[in-house]
Amino acid sequence: MLLSPAARARRRLAEMAGRGVLFAVTSVAALSVLAIIFFIARDALPFFMQVGVREFFLSTEWYPSHQPPQFGAAAIFVGTFLVTAAAVVLAVPIGLFAALCMSDILPFGLRQLLKPVIEMLAAIPSVVYGFFALTVVAPLVQDAGRWLPGDIQIDSGVNALTASIILGVMALPTIVSVSEDALQAAGRELREGSYALGATRAETLFKVVIPASISGLFSAVLLGIMRVMGETMVVWMASGNAAQIPKPWYNLLLPVRTLTATIAGDMGEADQMTGSTHYHVLFAMGLCLLLMSFACNLAGEWVVARQRKKLRGG
Amino acid sequence: MRLKLRKLMDRALTACGYLAVGVMALFLLWVLVPVFTKGVGAYVFRGTMEHRRMMLGEFGRGDPDRLRAEAADVWRAREPIYKAFAAFEQELDAMPASRRRELRPAFRDVREDVAVLLGPEPGAQLPALTRRMYGQTRWQEARKKANAVLFEETWEYNDAGSRRVLVPRATQFEGTALAPVFTSIERDLEAMMRPRLTVYPRFLTDHSIDAHFFGGIGPEVVGTLYLSLGAMLVAVPLGIVAAIYFQEYAKEGPVIAFLRSCVNTLAGVPSVVFGLFGLAFFINTLRVSPGKSVLAGALTLALLVLPTVIRASEEAIAAVPRAYKEGAMALGAGRFRTVATVILPAALPGILTGIVISMGRAAGETAPIIFTAAVSVGQLVKPSEVLTQPTPALSWNLYNLCTEHEAVEELRHVQFGMAATLVLIVLALNLAAILLRARVARQLKG
Repeated sequence: MLLSPAARARRRLAEMAGRGVLFAVTSVAALSVLAIIFFIARDALPFFMQVGVREFFLSTEWYPSHQPPQFGAAAIFVGTFLVTAAAVVLAVPIGLFAALCMSDILPFGLRQLLKPVIEMLAAIPSVVYGFFALTVVAPLVQDAGRWLPGDIQIDSGVNALTASIILGVMALPTIVSVSEDALQAAGRELREGSYALGATRAETLFKVVIPASISGLFSAVLLGIMRVMGETMVVWMASGNAAQIPKPWYNLLLPVRTLTATIAGDMGEADQMTGSTHYHVLFAMGLCLLLMSFACNLAGEWVVARQRKKLRGG
Repeated sequence: MRLKLRKLMDRALTACGYLAVGVMALFLLWVLVPVFTKGVGAYVFRGTMEHRRMMLGEFGRGDPDRLRAEAADVWRAREPIYKAFAAFEQELDAMPASRRRELRPAFRDVREDVAVLLGPEPGAQLPALTRRMYGQTRWQEARKKANAVLFEETWEYNDAGSRRVLVPRATQFEGTALAPVFTSIERDLEAMMRPRLTVYPRFLTDHSIDAHFFGGIGPEVVGTLYLSLGAMLVAVPLGIVAAIYFQEYAKEGPVIAFLRSCVNTLAGVPSVVFGLFGLAFFINTLRVSPGKSVLAGALTLALLVLPTVIRASEEAIAAVPRAYKEGAMALGAGRFRTVATVILPAALPGILTGIVISMGRAAGETAPIIFTAAVSVGQLVKPSEVLTQPTPALSWNLYNLCTEHEAVEELRHVQFGMAATLVLIVLALNLAAILLRARVARQLKG
């Protein structure tokens, strides 16, 4: 290039400055997650200093507004796990079969038709799902007790089951689209090889395609769990918000309370008194949620990395 | 035999697959159909005389002369009721004390129920709450309230639990001067209310009166637009710059891997935690506003949609054919010029798709704005106030109306109207994204 040395230097300097600015902006965007961790932890620490870890994780006495207040969140953790587990149990089989169907069974045209269905399921705002749970599903669940066989008493339609059903629906798009990608990624050659050996479609899918894409399917389930666990509005509106461990623990027909719903519901009372223990305990719950979602994230990345290594090595 | 079994299992798998897909599609219908069919009821319904009176009184809409003429007709149907009230009051004074003690509270109930149905009695003092200044504005509700006048609701308790029993008030007041009230309400309700098919498109833009008893959802719609547009205003530049850096500048290494995994982690943060962060950082630490504000909410939502914007933009940039870039470089353009004049324009539709989808997500989120931006009772926020004022928003107010409001059951039509409007906004944005994507696909094909 025919540039004077000075011009070339200027150009290089500009390039470097531009690069620096881009890097700075990118870092701000990416590192905001560290800021989130820092500020949630900063406001959560005072709670652990004042009350301690023991009461928070082991006690079920959740009376934050009493005198003296009690902050036992064990029942709330159990509620979170119960609702999440039930939703995942509902969503995973449907989601995996739907993904199998979309990647290997449906003709191309139908698949194109189904994509918008999944996108719409994912796009509907969570508060609308919650409203739907409250006005449509809850009355149905409440009435179900009457015509179900046996002696099932359903006192209220807003309970763990209603919330789990809706959460399962909300997790479906994540599970379906991620696992469909994983199944597609297994490739044509594998399938054709299996068919050439005389396997039926079911055998090909279960013995060849699924084992080959198991890490992707696993991360689909993890992402579904993360979506369900972090969901706020539906559980707040439809789970009943009673801080109790159901008896027996698997009884989904009783109201439960989750971490997210507690944060959303109690902050209204607590945020006038910024700095109160009640305010800090909600941040402690936020921190726990954050750590749980990180754990899911890490587990997902680890499985994918391991699988990649295995495929490369084998 | 073995082969038969294998074939059978193959069929079973196909059936399971179709079943799962069908369940998914049915779920979508199950959610959307009630939301839309009932949501329409907020815009199109059978409005009564009281609706037209309210429209004139509160919004100044409608023809006063025609309304007066209609009111005269309606009065002919309603007058006997008030006459019966006056007659019964005199009769009550003449009754023996025991009977009077029995009937007077019941009479008071009837009068109150009639006031709820038809509006305050003529000549009575005007109530303080706007919701009591008019009778039932919707025919459907009017019929329910008419039943409340006709029947007294009592509960019968026994060992098995409680049961609702409706006692006709006509029998309670049989033989008194009040009895004609019940027959005339049963017979002439239509003449008293004059239901007429009413189209109320301005539900979308009207402010609400007396905590959503009358009026529309204008402030909520505007608040939702502020929040989602504000979020995009922050997230889009940040997201596009980050995507350009990741795709065009970054050399793979530990730093970039770390930054990428930060972005992935950000995508997994639960939405309510974003709300906590917005409260702790934007409001309590940076103090961008004295309390909740549109600004704080938009910043929080911007963080929430940032990973989506980055990923979509990265994909769009990666999809730009390599030849474009090489051509620009060959013409002597520097890296920055290549990005600005060749890569970005080519990737723009794809980036826009991501932006539009993220905007829909920002519009529908509730949890992040609870502590940072949303108020349940609020006036329209002017553009000059967005930096300091909190705002009502469709998502938050839908929650508030269907759980915390004092008249949850009576305001179902407003709730469904809000839900349908919110879903419509979000789905319209998604549809735009789908169309955009189809265009991109066509373009890339050539």
